[in-house]
Amino acid sequence: MNEEKEVEEQPIPLVIQKLEAHHADALLSQGEMRGTVVVVVRKEQAYAVLEYLKTDPELAYTFLVDITAVDNSQMESELMQFDYARYMVVYQLYSYQGQCRLRVKVPVHENDLNTPSVTGLWQGANWLERETYDMFGINFEGHPDLRRILMPDDFEGHPLQKDYPLRGRGERESFNFDKQNA
Amino acid sequence: MGLTNTDIQSAQGVEQTDGNIITTTIDRVVNWGRKNSLWPMPFGTACCAIEMMATLASKFDLSRFGSEAIRFSPRQSDLLIVSGRISIKMMPVLKRIYDQMPDPKWVISMGACASCGGVFDTYTLIQGVDQFIPVDVYIPGCPPRPEDLIDAVLQVQQKITSGASPKGVEHLLET
Repeated sequence: MNEEKEVEEQPIPLVIQKLEAHHADALLSQGEMRGTVVVVVRKEQAYAVLEYLKTDPELAYTFLVDITAVDNSQMESELMQFDYARYMVVYQLYSYQGQCRLRVKVPVHENDLNTPSVTGLWQGANWLERETYDMFGINFEGHPDLRRILMPDDFEGHPLQKDYPLRGRGERESFNFDKQNA
Repeated sequence: MGLTNTDIQSAQGVEQTDGNIITTTIDRVVNWGRKNSLWPMPFGTACCAIEMMATLASKFDLSRFGSEAIRFSPRQSDLLIVSGRISIKMMPVLKRIYDQMPDPKWVISMGACASCGGVFDTYTLIQGVDQFIPVDVYIPGCPPRPEDLIDAVLQVQQKITSGASPKGVEHLLET
């Protein structure tokens, strides 16, 4: 109860104000989690919003801290919020200028795993997107070199998907050493 | 040199005559040399490797047992110390390094992860390197103390002294 009151009393963060003014149609949800502003953005406008967040002189979220994803397939409450989008691609941003963090989430449906690559905005997104592709199977469109980065090249499946068995599908017991060593 | 009187007298199959002459077998001399100059190839992938470093450093000082010449080239080493988790992507690398080592070669599987996967019963981790390479000595622990590694090296030395073949060639000697 107290927490809600405190949130209400706080001024609306600048980033929310600006996003509502410039990209109101892209915003699906906004909130705060342990002191970090969290916004959920429509996939179609995700690139435009991230570009705006990076290039706007007042916001200047120039540092991409991390890209990852969440598989919500076993979280009914989360799924319902965003039209049963199974995955949530998460961008963690930091602004040196404002010294504040921002979390941008983009819902991705299971039947359309394409989402725009942000390698054009941040060079550092290259490996982060490769990891997210490797672990979750999210297909980042426009990525210059979308290959696996953690798992072996001939690995099948994406192990951080919730339906992937914890002990694997027998990969760890069987090897084709000749092929791997080639 | 280095062979004290006690060593000579305690060793089996070694005879000392009245003069400064001892007789023995060629195998025994070769094994004695091998035993005291094991050159380890470290394959450290996790926290066990930290303990391995401690073992090699001055406090525990593996060189007291003749194994301080760590070779980072498998071509020059005869003792592979697998210390740490081996993932499915790392296993072909480990196998290749083992294959590159000249015979005779011994393998120590150090710690729970290398020996059985440890707590990481997951899709990506090899549940015991002995599924793919022959292991002579296993060390329990997570991670094992440096004394455990020293003990393992001593056990390899014992194995060499006894004339037993390394695990890796046993299958060649059968028939």
